[in-house]
Amino acid sequence: MNYVLKRLGQAVLTVLVVVSFSFALIRLLPGGPMDYLRAKIIEQGGSDLSQEAINMRIEAQTGITTDEPIYVQYVDYMTGLLQGDFGQSVWFGDPVAEIIGPAIPWTVFLTGTALFLGFLVGISLGAFMAYKEGSRFDVGATGVGLFLNSTPNYVVALLGLTFLGYQLELFPTGGRYASELTVGFNLPFLLSVLHHGALPILSMAIVAFGGWALNMRGNSIRILGEDFLRVARLRGLSTRRIAIRYVARNAILPMYTGLMIAIGTAFGGAIIIENIFAYPGVGFYMIQSINSRDYPLMMGAFILITVAMVIGITIADLTYGWIDPRARGGGSRESY
Amino acid sequence: MSQDTISMPAGSNDPIIEARNVNVTYDLENQDAMVLDDVDVDLRREEVLGVVGESGSGKSMLANSMMDAVQQPGITTGEIRYHPEPDADPIHVLELSDEELRSLRWEEISMVFQGALSSFNPTLTIGGHFEETLEAHGYDVEEGMERARQLLSDLYLEPDRVLESYSHELSGGMSQRALIALSLVLEPKVLLMDEPTGALDLLMQRSILSLLEDLKEKYDLTLLFITHDLPLVAGMADRLAILYAFELVEVGPSEQLVRNSEHPYTRALLRAVPNLDAPLETMQPIGGTAPNPAHVPQGCHYAPRCPLSTEECHTDDPPWFEVAEDQRSACFHHDEAAEAVPFDVTETALAEMAGEEGPDSDGWSFASDEDVVMSLEDVSVHFDQNEGLVSSMFGESQPVRAVDDVSLDIRENDVVALVGESGCGKTTLGKTVIGVQRPTHGSVSYRGQDVWDAKDGRGDLDIPHSEIRRALQIIHQDPGAALNPNKKVLTSLEAPLKKWEPDMSIEDRRARIFGLLDRVGMQPPQDYAHRFPHQLSGGEQQRVALVRALLMNPDVILADEAVSALDVSLRVETMDLLLELQQEFNTSFVFISHTLSNARYLAEKADGRIGIMYLGEIVEIGPPEEVLGNPQHPYTKVLRWATADLDPSAQEIEEPPVRSIDIPDPVDPPAGCRFHTRCPEAREVCTRAAPDLGNDESTPQVRAAACHRTEEDHAYWDSKPLPEEQPMVAEADD
Amino acid sequence: MNPTDDRASVDAEDAGSDGAVKDPLVDAVGGADVRPADARKRSAITGHDRHGQAVTDGGEAVSQFEQTAEFTMSKGERRRQWLEEKLLAPARIVWSDWRARTGLLVVSFYLLMGIVGPHVVAAPSPNQGRRLLGAFRSLEHPFGTTASGVDLLSQTVHATPAMLLMLASGAVFSVVLGTAIGTTSGYKGGRFDSIAMTINDMAMTIPGLPLTIVLASVLQIEGHPIVIGILITINAWAGLARAIRSQVLTLRESEYVEASRIMGISTPKIVLGDIVPNLMPYITMNFVQQARMVIFGSVGLYFLGVLPYTSTNWGVMMDAAVHRAGATSSLLAIHWLLVPMFTVIALAFGLTLLAQGADRIFNPRVRARHAETIEGEGEGGDGDPGDGTSTTDAMEKNAGGTTTGGI
Repeated sequence: MNYVLKRLGQAVLTVLVVVSFSFALIRLLPGGPMDYLRAKIIEQGGSDLSQEAINMRIEAQTGITTDEPIYVQYVDYMTGLLQGDFGQSVWFGDPVAEIIGPAIPWTVFLTGTALFLGFLVGISLGAFMAYKEGSRFDVGATGVGLFLNSTPNYVVALLGLTFLGYQLELFPTGGRYASELTVGFNLPFLLSVLHHGALPILSMAIVAFGGWALNMRGNSIRILGEDFLRVARLRGLSTRRIAIRYVARNAILPMYTGLMIAIGTAFGGAIIIENIFAYPGVGFYMIQSINSRDYPLMMGAFILITVAMVIGITIADLTYGWIDPRARGGGSRESY
Repeated sequence: MSQDTISMPAGSNDPIIEARNVNVTYDLENQDAMVLDDVDVDLRREEVLGVVGESGSGKSMLANSMMDAVQQPGITTGEIRYHPEPDADPIHVLELSDEELRSLRWEEISMVFQGALSSFNPTLTIGGHFEETLEAHGYDVEEGMERARQLLSDLYLEPDRVLESYSHELSGGMSQRALIALSLVLEPKVLLMDEPTGALDLLMQRSILSLLEDLKEKYDLTLLFITHDLPLVAGMADRLAILYAFELVEVGPSEQLVRNSEHPYTRALLRAVPNLDAPLETMQPIGGTAPNPAHVPQGCHYAPRCPLSTEECHTDDPPWFEVAEDQRSACFHHDEAAEAVPFDVTETALAEMAGEEGPDSDGWSFASDEDVVMSLEDVSVHFDQNEGLVSSMFGESQPVRAVDDVSLDIRENDVVALVGESGCGKTTLGKTVIGVQRPTHGSVSYRGQDVWDAKDGRGDLDIPHSEIRRALQIIHQDPGAALNPNKKVLTSLEAPLKKWEPDMSIEDRRARIFGLLDRVGMQPPQDYAHRFPHQLSGGEQQRVALVRALLMNPDVILADEAVSALDVSLRVETMDLLLELQQEFNTSFVFISHTLSNARYLAEKADGRIGIMYLGEIVEIGPPEEVLGNPQHPYTKVLRWATADLDPSAQEIEEPPVRSIDIPDPVDPPAGCRFHTRCPEAREVCTRAAPDLGNDESTPQVRAAACHRTEEDHAYWDSKPLPEEQPMVAEADD
Repeated sequence: MNPTDDRASVDAEDAGSDGAVKDPLVDAVGGADVRPADARKRSAITGHDRHGQAVTDGGEAVSQFEQTAEFTMSKGERRRQWLEEKLLAPARIVWSDWRARTGLLVVSFYLLMGIVGPHVVAAPSPNQGRRLLGAFRSLEHPFGTTASGVDLLSQTVHATPAMLLMLASGAVFSVVLGTAIGTTSGYKGGRFDSIAMTINDMAMTIPGLPLTIVLASVLQIEGHPIVIGILITINAWAGLARAIRSQVLTLRESEYVEASRIMGISTPKIVLGDIVPNLMPYITMNFVQQARMVIFGSVGLYFLGVLPYTSTNWGVMMDAAVHRAGATSSLLAIHWLLVPMFTVIALAFGLTLLAQGADRIFNPRVRARHAETIEGEGEGGDGDPGDGTSTTDAMEKNAGGTTTGGI
């Protein structure tokens, strides 16, 4: 129970720090976003805008009232965020929440599926490699795994886009779904979503599974040498039970931390992938905002990506004790 | 060949497993390694056969081969015949198909391994192991689980609690017993046990042994018990088989073998085992080392170390000689063995020693206070269970009371052996003595200077902390872990000299190191100095650790189980070395041990003391002759019981003289006398009043025991005995 | 410490005379005042030789432990041994493993390309050749040219120094920071640990690339490769620090670390001598992984055009190929895209392979085997004595002696 509280506290604290950090970046940096926005408004609205009008425009965009003392600005900014007010996009003119909000599920869909797919294929392959340790298959797969591990996902994405997208026209080259379809739980729509998501997801999953496979292979080989596995064999357990309940489970557990870190990497990696496939997810908007120097949108995207990731990692962390009996009862004892 | 050689024990009476010409070889990088060489042995129906050998002698291979379970890439050849019924056709185990093997193993022949913790799947409950085993063999699960519960309670475990636990939640003794229950759940006829008690405390070992006796009777089992500990198994086994360097050297009824062994190795082994009974002089190490499996000598494997060896021994394999009824020995010179390696088990009589030898007139008991090197006053060490910001905010964390209110003086040239079960706080106390563990209460002083004041720079310092730090050193239990695997011996040994003798030239430093290495018998030292720790044997690693401690020129050395990780034949040798160096260097030793016999050997030889610890307290302390010869505290008596005598006739494995074989949780030690929950003599007053480790009237400052029974007019004698509330799990059949 | 300062140095040769076992009592005279008053009595017996003064009065009394001091090494020998241990043996180890060998070759090639390349290959400029010449069409432009006729080979080569600098700075930054925080946190524990780990866990949950993007855009940094390298690994140290901390937690409880502590060795010395060497395989692996991450991240972000740059690089090349020549939609410019891609993958693959084999350098078992040439005499014949034991161990794992710990 303590651990859960501690973990939740940590998550909240992280979000708080990230938000404060972004406030500081926007507000406090000389020559930074604030000055840029001001210049931009003046440029757009002409010089006839009063100082107050400019400040109001800025407030609408960033949620920060410039003429108040700094701590008031901070509190306003925080309360605004709590109410879902991330400011207004300079470029699109819409509230940031309205742009990013709908994009989040798509990003989560991409990264989540890719992560799951890569992990699943990786551990299955890795287990099989361990089982066939030393065989030609093992050596070959290890080589392929190392190679995939050395390939950035955007390279796969670009190649996929070129050959499967443009050349063979098997997959669409942009968008989340075919625009003519009605959004909802109908088969054509869902199929279209999968069709559009396939290349981004595959390009992220393909490079990921090599690493998982190698990891799983190493862990499985270690488990295969454990005493309890030998005892299990002597007890006459079926190969299936040994493979699943003994080898797989004990080999996967140590990879859980790696999975947590991979969540972070996946969110980061999705930014590039979304842009290659013009897939309107959070990362897509983030890059858009940077190219157009749309600071409110950029910070909104950054905060939301962080929140999504913090949630993901916290869930993973909290469920770990549930999966591994040894982790129950919390952390290790430390002295000195 | 002499007349009494035999080809093989003729159709011995009703064997359940017959092993004939069993070889196990490993093909390692182009060289064959022989790990079991032409072994012939019978396991008789419903007997207990003890297989004794040092580590690396191939004894595990013997057990494994009996159920064709030798691990890849080992190859088993020869013949293993299993007779399910006396008159039935034998099953040729080594020729079975995988499926046949699957139903032979565990259903007919089962096995218990040493490391119980590593024998269980860490992510599966103990109960899950039972269920899956029953399912895999097509047994009725419900009925089988009923049997499992019965077995567990036969082994003094709470079935429900254990079945729901994961292995890491059980103590070593508990999981070992659970493993025994697991191996019996399919009602096998034969149980092969590979050092099943090796990693456990003595008391637990003996308790498990006595439980095994019961189980054997109850379930008509045949037991093969493998161990390196001859005295342990001698009392229980009907017959003993002695293995040396992958071959069987002697087989016979256990009592006969212990009394009249006709093999020089068996006799040497008997002599080398530290025990409580034999006079110290009779304990002699075996010279030399056992051969490597890749370089097994021609002829008799023991010949290079044998005092009797002749040319013949080096060239020919000795045949079996029937040396007595049912006893056979593989030695050409078996009739000379008794003379060449004298050993008489009947010499063992400890009781007379007590009393006859009083405290030494010139010993430390008359030493003045100036002689005290380390002094502990009312020292307690409590560990908080969990630290960290959050848990300390929320938690009412209960401290583990590792050491509670202990006072102890270590004098010049003193040897104090602390003995107790694991978890009794002996290591913590030892580390407190050498100023590594900060006590939560009480004071630790070195020659009158409080160690922790010196460390913190409090008050006027007579002796700087660095001086104290240097004077108190340690030798660890596991020699392998005590040396940095990434550093060569020389580098490890140079570190203390660089620190404390920074002006020494490289040549001097090396000369010093080489000299000491040479002194502890590592020759040539230059060669050893340039090795990495993994290139040394356990005994050699321990010597390096010893040299490292000695280079510091310490006043007190804490030897934490310093010999328990070593092979039996090395223990006496290492302890002798420790004592020699103790004399030579004028060092005091605090020796921590979980076995009485090692403690006795050291303490008695050095005229030191033995301290018995239980749950953080010293319950009895004094000269070994008295503490062991005439134990005052019931717990000492229990430990005494737990230490096997060499003489098989002297020991009958009876019910353990404790009311519960598991130690209470040290987080919440029992009130009153801490031992009362297990003490056979406990009375009602013991649950309330804690006895002091007062001074025994007859021998002031020397002999003391913390038990109400030592005081003649204590309320104890009028107190009511504790009710028989069945503290152990009840036998289910009553 | 020892107050006597007459630490006469033993002439090693002198002490070497074999029969020189002297009564320890002889040494005692000079050692009388090594201890506070109450200790004098006992030092009269052996105090002296134990204090490391083999010779005290006039350099003739020799401790019985000084009898084998014939072993001296000339400077040259020592240097040779140092070279052998620190350089040649590791090199042999790397070379003996095909993965490490390949990795080393690849990485060396890139280093060469970075250091020598720019001096050999002409700097990229427009109209070096025909526009959009495909790869492997002409010897003059083996990798082809861009839409403005810039030679791709020269672009690739001239981008190398900056890329190498970037990945080195990123890897060094994150590994040094991660190791320092992880070891200190793990070894010291206490308040520092809990604060450091709280910060650490926060850093771990902030997505790396988005943070880099935000910082790069808001801070208006110059595109210096070292800065970019650090920016990309801005929070990568956190994962490493956590992993290292947990290993240090185990190591600091290990018996040999405790022994060092009890011998009074200082904490920094213990950390550097006993802890870090045992982490080296892990640290090396991570160094290479971080380097790989920097390549992936930087090229990706350059490709997106969100990082400032001073000179062309592989990511910018890809960006130009896609966005200026439409390399994805038409195959005409595909070589423009493939060349930098291949360059990135090959370097990453080389690093991965190197990491796979390089950790063996730190394995004392492997090291001992490869150092045999110089000190093998004692072990000759049956090879590595340790191996003999270990095979026995493996074969009869369960048969070891009793081992029961105290608390």
